[in-house]
Amino acid sequence: MSKHIWLIISVLLLSSCKKWLDVKPLSQVSEDDLFKTEAGFEESLNGIYTRCTRTDLYGSELSFGFPEVLAQNYTFPPDDNQRYQQTANYNYLDPYFIARKDAAWRGLYNAIVNCNLLLQNLEENKSVLPEDKHALIKGEALALRAYLHFDALRLFAPSFKNNPTEKGVPYVTSVSNKVTTTLTVSQTLEKIINDLKEAKEIIRPVDPIRAASYVAGYPTDVNDVERADKSLFLQNRRHRMNYYAICGTLARVCLYMDKKDEALANALEVIESNTFPWTNSAAFIEPDPTKKDRILYRELVFAWYIEDLAQEVNLRFNSGAVGLYIENNAGNTLYETGSVGAEDNRFKQWFRLVSGTNTMDRLELQKYLRDPQTNRHYLVAPAIRLSEMYYIAAECTYDTDPALAAQYLNTVRFNRGMGVPLTISNKDELIQELVKEARKEFYGEGQIFYMYKRLHRSIATQLGGSIPASDKIFVLPLPNDEIEFGNP
Amino acid sequence: MIFTILCQAARRMAKSKTILVMKLTAILLLAGFLQVSAAGFTQTISLSKQNVSLPKVFREIKKQTGYVFFYNLRMLDKAHPVTINVKNGTLKEVLEQCFADQPVTYRIINKTIVVTERPAPPPVAPPVTTDTVPSTIEVRGKVLDDATGLAVSGANIVVKGSNTGVTSGADGSFTLQVKPGAVLVISFVGYDNKEVTVTPATTTLTVRLALKANKEPMVEVVVTGYQQIRKESFTGNAVTVSGEELKKVNPQNILQAIQAFDPSFQVAQNNLFGSNPNQLPRVNVRGATSLPSGTGEILTRHNLAGNVNLPTFILDGYEVSLEKVYDLDPNRIESVTILKDAAATTVYGSRAANGVMVITTKAPQEGKLQVTYNYDLNITGPDLTDYHVLNAAEKLEYEWLAGLYEPVQQLSRDDQEERYYAKKRNVVAGVNTYWLSQPLRTTFGQKHSMFIEGGSPIVRYGIDLRYHTMPGVMKGSGRDRYSLGTVLSYAPTKKFLFRNVLSVTQVEGTESPYGSFLNYVRMNPYYPKTDSAGRIIQRVDDWTIDTRQSGADQYRTETVLNPLYEGTLNSFNRTKYLEVIESFSAEWNISRSLRLRSLLSLTKRKYNTDVFQSPFSNEFYDYPADRMDERGSYYFRNADESAFDGNITLTYNRQLGDHFVNLAAGANIRTYSIDSKSLNAIGFSNDRFTNIGFANRFPEGSSPQGDYALERLFGSFLSVNYSMKNKYLADLSVRMDGSSKFGTENKTAPFWALGVGWNLHYEPFLENTAISQLKLRASTGQTGDVSFPPYMAQTTYQYYTSNWYSTGVGAVVNNYGNQALQWQKTDNYDVGLDLGLFRDRIYISSRYYYKLTHGLLADIMLPPSTGFGSYKENLGDMENTGIELNLKYVAVRNRNLVVSVFANMARNQNKILKISNALKAYNDKADQEQVSNDNLKGTPLLRFNEGQSLNTIYAVRSLGIDPENGKEIFLKRDGTRTYEWDVKDIVPVGDNTPTAYGYFGTNVSWKGFLLNLIFYTRFGGEEYNQTLVDRVENADPRYNVDSRVLSDRWKQPGDKALYKNIADLGTSFASDRFVQKDNVLELQSVYLSYDFAKKVYSKLAMKNLRLSFTMNDIWRWSSMRIERGIQYPFARSFTFSIQTSF
Repeated sequence: MSKHIWLIISVLLLSSCKKWLDVKPLSQVSEDDLFKTEAGFEESLNGIYTRCTRTDLYGSELSFGFPEVLAQNYTFPPDDNQRYQQTANYNYLDPYFIARKDAAWRGLYNAIVNCNLLLQNLEENKSVLPEDKHALIKGEALALRAYLHFDALRLFAPSFKNNPTEKGVPYVTSVSNKVTTTLTVSQTLEKIINDLKEAKEIIRPVDPIRAASYVAGYPTDVNDVERADKSLFLQNRRHRMNYYAICGTLARVCLYMDKKDEALANALEVIESNTFPWTNSAAFIEPDPTKKDRILYRELVFAWYIEDLAQEVNLRFNSGAVGLYIENNAGNTLYETGSVGAEDNRFKQWFRLVSGTNTMDRLELQKYLRDPQTNRHYLVAPAIRLSEMYYIAAECTYDTDPALAAQYLNTVRFNRGMGVPLTISNKDELIQELVKEARKEFYGEGQIFYMYKRLHRSIATQLGGSIPASDKIFVLPLPNDEIEFGNP
Repeated sequence: MIFTILCQAARRMAKSKTILVMKLTAILLLAGFLQVSAAGFTQTISLSKQNVSLPKVFREIKKQTGYVFFYNLRMLDKAHPVTINVKNGTLKEVLEQCFADQPVTYRIINKTIVVTERPAPPPVAPPVTTDTVPSTIEVRGKVLDDATGLAVSGANIVVKGSNTGVTSGADGSFTLQVKPGAVLVISFVGYDNKEVTVTPATTTLTVRLALKANKEPMVEVVVTGYQQIRKESFTGNAVTVSGEELKKVNPQNILQAIQAFDPSFQVAQNNLFGSNPNQLPRVNVRGATSLPSGTGEILTRHNLAGNVNLPTFILDGYEVSLEKVYDLDPNRIESVTILKDAAATTVYGSRAANGVMVITTKAPQEGKLQVTYNYDLNITGPDLTDYHVLNAAEKLEYEWLAGLYEPVQQLSRDDQEERYYAKKRNVVAGVNTYWLSQPLRTTFGQKHSMFIEGGSPIVRYGIDLRYHTMPGVMKGSGRDRYSLGTVLSYAPTKKFLFRNVLSVTQVEGTESPYGSFLNYVRMNPYYPKTDSAGRIIQRVDDWTIDTRQSGADQYRTETVLNPLYEGTLNSFNRTKYLEVIESFSAEWNISRSLRLRSLLSLTKRKYNTDVFQSPFSNEFYDYPADRMDERGSYYFRNADESAFDGNITLTYNRQLGDHFVNLAAGANIRTYSIDSKSLNAIGFSNDRFTNIGFANRFPEGSSPQGDYALERLFGSFLSVNYSMKNKYLADLSVRMDGSSKFGTENKTAPFWALGVGWNLHYEPFLENTAISQLKLRASTGQTGDVSFPPYMAQTTYQYYTSNWYSTGVGAVVNNYGNQALQWQKTDNYDVGLDLGLFRDRIYISSRYYYKLTHGLLADIMLPPSTGFGSYKENLGDMENTGIELNLKYVAVRNRNLVVSVFANMARNQNKILKISNALKAYNDKADQEQVSNDNLKGTPLLRFNEGQSLNTIYAVRSLGIDPENGKEIFLKRDGTRTYEWDVKDIVPVGDNTPTAYGYFGTNVSWKGFLLNLIFYTRFGGEEYNQTLVDRVENADPRYNVDSRVLSDRWKQPGDKALYKNIADLGTSFASDRFVQKDNVLELQSVYLSYDFAKKVYSKLAMKNLRLSFTMNDIWRWSSMRIERGIQYPFARSFTFSIQTSF
């Protein structure tokens, strides 16, 4: 009898000792503690978005930085204060370029590991969350993981079109200090699509954005439906990976993989939801800065909230000759102001001409400009636009219905103030027009480089020339420590 | 009010005194009775035995009565067996029966029955012859205390070489039958033994026992913090120094003082902070066992991360911080023990790898109230002998040679020359300001330290008070300490002892408002420090500088501001802490050999840091108009530190024949937490309103900071010390530790040690030879180290508190938590030899050790696709090999004069065996920084390479300066020569490890005088002379420089110069041209004291009186000329002390 008591006491003592030695940090929070509460899951998900909006990722570099430079969207003065000239020359050995692309790679995978930790804990601590919220968080985390991998793939692996069996990027689905084996480009794309599809199914029944009453508006509206929910976590669905953002991402990925039917279906789902109305041109051309919609906010299917980076963005685009800008002539060429683009509101509203004294005249981007007092909308970095859905729809329908395809394209142009419809005689012409259109629409949003790459198309230079398509340009080298410490 | 109550109480007590005494007697009698019956002893005996031997009967009687028999077995050889049958007989009756017709008889002394040979039987038929001596004689004697003359009862009187003996009675008397010529050994606890030879003429003795001389009580035992082990039988490596000895070396800083007794305890000289009293020293024992685990920060030798190799400090049984030891009053220290090898430190398990320093404080002595008082007057003065700067005329000449007055920007040659001659005018007019001395002073620090003690054997008390100011040599800096402590001990019976110690300490450290000393060294001597009206001017000069960059950045105006101006402002930088330590211990002496001891201690410490920078400070001088409201800054930090230590130890020591066993088993727990909060504020209108409340706002983008850390540890250990005949020794200890810092997979860790030893001097073949002591010992074991930040083993999240996402605050993962993270393990091997010659007049002890640390905590780089850059892993090995040598020689020893000399030397060689990939990547980063960072170009950076030591100096090999053109010629890796410095040519060019370092000195005592001299030396190592780079070659000619600029730099073709062209303002890179031999000899301490004779101090109603004088860091010689004390100069110090008690 007494033997047993001793045994019990010693077992109790030992186990409580172990617990006693399990010390939890206070100013940080341990993984175990974070995922003990519902709020912890929300914070973890919010954390992924915040992580993605740091300046190494969509807060700056991936939205306005080197992908735009690679697409020849900026002009650099001889001083080259921002050290982008070598990047524009595709010198991939330039230390500034290496630092930026390596940071992007690290950042993407760091955000991915946050997704994986969250997903892992969603499985382990299922009971903490109500079912709806569990589905919402899981769907977003899965889709984000796919979205981030897709951008890593678009930057660091050959395009599907040019080299689908070449090595892609590691598709990481677990948290570990072991490296994940890298699959081929098409295998990686399959994984991305699978995750997106799963996410779409999970989130479909629970995402408030699918409510008929949910129509994208402005936060300054009197009854802003997007901020109607009592819970902050369920507000502003478009700042997060919502149902339509997943559709949009799927459309984007499927098109990249040349799965036109699926791409079209998903693009149409976004278009036909009628959740994202076209910005009326009055708001676009509004002179009062407090009422002006600079970014075409209502058309954003998914955007990164970067309110705290206003100063940083301002420094990038509106700090004179040391900022990022496009030389006046090049800008006019890009927007075809001499011909079809004469009426393009985008050129008129997004650019400000600054005449240089001893340097050239330059166009400074106003898309992200903030009024110091009030703004009609938040400062965001666009991730998926409604217009992109129309472009995808156009590209995917041309083979079956060329007229409809042209109509999709013309709808966007019309909403940008270009009243004269385009007539398109063949597929090449459509692609050419689409590229032109996307260059104008996505200026300063970090997307156009991927389009050149997807189409394996030569890149247009500012002076009207072109740089031939090549994997030497399109495939960024992996970071050294990935090659050194990984086992590909 | 209280007084009257006390008076009344006293009066009432006086009346009832007699009644009280009676009551007490009754209680005591009752208690005595109870005790006897409780023990089961009776005064009557029942015995029924047939033909049994006497010893058997004795045993039975002892069992029934508790009386002990004292006899010599040989005496009973002739005794015959007894048959006895008694019921309820008295002791006397029984004994009479037993001893009837026996050749022996008995006496009862206290509770001991002493059996003696029966006095010669009545002469029945005596064959007496006159020339035979009687076989025995009776000796009657008395044992007295030599000092007081009081009787000593219970003293043992034994005939030497036999077991025969008696104990002295209550009046100190004894009677013993001995053979003539026998030697009696009289002994009693606490007294020196005394031997008396008995002759027939001296049958009546008076033996006076002298109290054991209290000379060096500490040498006898080793205090491990958990138990005390006789040094003679200990195989571990420990150095014990008494507090008195420490004070003789350095009365201000015990950490500095310990070094002189054990050089393997190293306090690094801090060249950057010199003698700043607020700078905690860096300490390590027997070399480094961990790598600096940086966060990728590039390291120079100056910013070597923190105190990673700090030993563990134990004060009276509980762990304390380095700062506590630094601020401890040396007068309170009884002894300090440094435990070094595995056999000595294993009881500290995971905290033991860097050695353990055990400090015990003085316990109050019983007796009448006694006051011990100590006064120190400490005078310190700056030591500027290492600074050699140019004087005004030389400086101006150098500026001219360096081309500072060439036309620049809009300044034409005429403008420049005008400026030059304006300065020349100053020089000619005799302006030659010695800026170095301006912020400095000679200081007087005082210390009053008092200890009041006394009490009865049951209750003893002690109160200590201290007032200690320690101003620094830079004006306004200093560290003041005040403390109050009480000790109360209570021993209700001999079996129990309770002790409570409560101490409160307040320490206030103030930094000098004059700023960094560097600023004064740089000032040009031709600048006057005041204007003609005697006011201190802020703006002294302007320089227009051509930065040789293109565009608008090409020209820059630099304003020279007067650093003395800072001293006129109300800026301050204060850190103070209030510390309360409560510790309670209880001891239970279960039996003579078994003892249970437990200790609880609680430490609370509250830190406050306030740093105010006046808005008028030079720091804000360049602020543009729109930032005027940002001038002035305030930093505030508040930290709460608490620690709880609890331990329980069971010790057993017993001599069983030839075997002696000392066993300790115990367990301890410790928790430590620190909670700190800090914030910055800016914008003050003037410096009269210095409260943080007057601040305008927080700096842009800053938010309050908070940090909290919690550590927990528990462990249990068993330690056995065994010796046989004092010759063959063995130690064995094991410990199991659990720490909150380990990964969840490894919460507990085992540690062990084994030591063996042999006292050869007890072997017969060494007896009566010149060798008075010869001891061999060896030990091995494994200890650990967990001195890394908590939570590293866990995956943690951090909040983006300053930027919320639109849908709420976000948390992101911080690190990859390695669940398998373990402690660092150090394998220790230690062999030693102690040799004493001629009754230890010459004493040599030497050690060799080898420490292999494996599982060094290191950053492991991960492929970024894992989402993490690196994680912590136990990877990396390092070894430390060392020799320690200790010599002592008593040259003269007679009544009045004792002269002894000593020397101790140590050597530690450190070698990196294996490093992680992150450290390899770090080396590449160091290469990169070396090229791109202007501040690091001329500094050898720390690099990690397998096979090299942590002290290796890395630079490019140089062939010197080309006499042709004043350029430096480098040697490339392939052996070719070049003028181009290339980071790829960096190789190990030197090692900072000295061949040996240590102390030597002498000790002379003559009558009441005592003189102590201690020198420090270090030789055989190399050091990179940063002064040559920063202040000779890369020196900015617009500021004052080392005088070698003018004398030793190349000026014209053909100059065989050590340093490059004087007009070359380019940067010199790290090259081995600056590596020099680092040989040092220092006179560290001179101590002189005089103890007054009894007739002097007793006239003053004192119990003793000592005056002493100590000088520290007085003289120094070095093989290299390097500026020491960059931000704060070094100081020399002189201390006068008076010590007395009454």
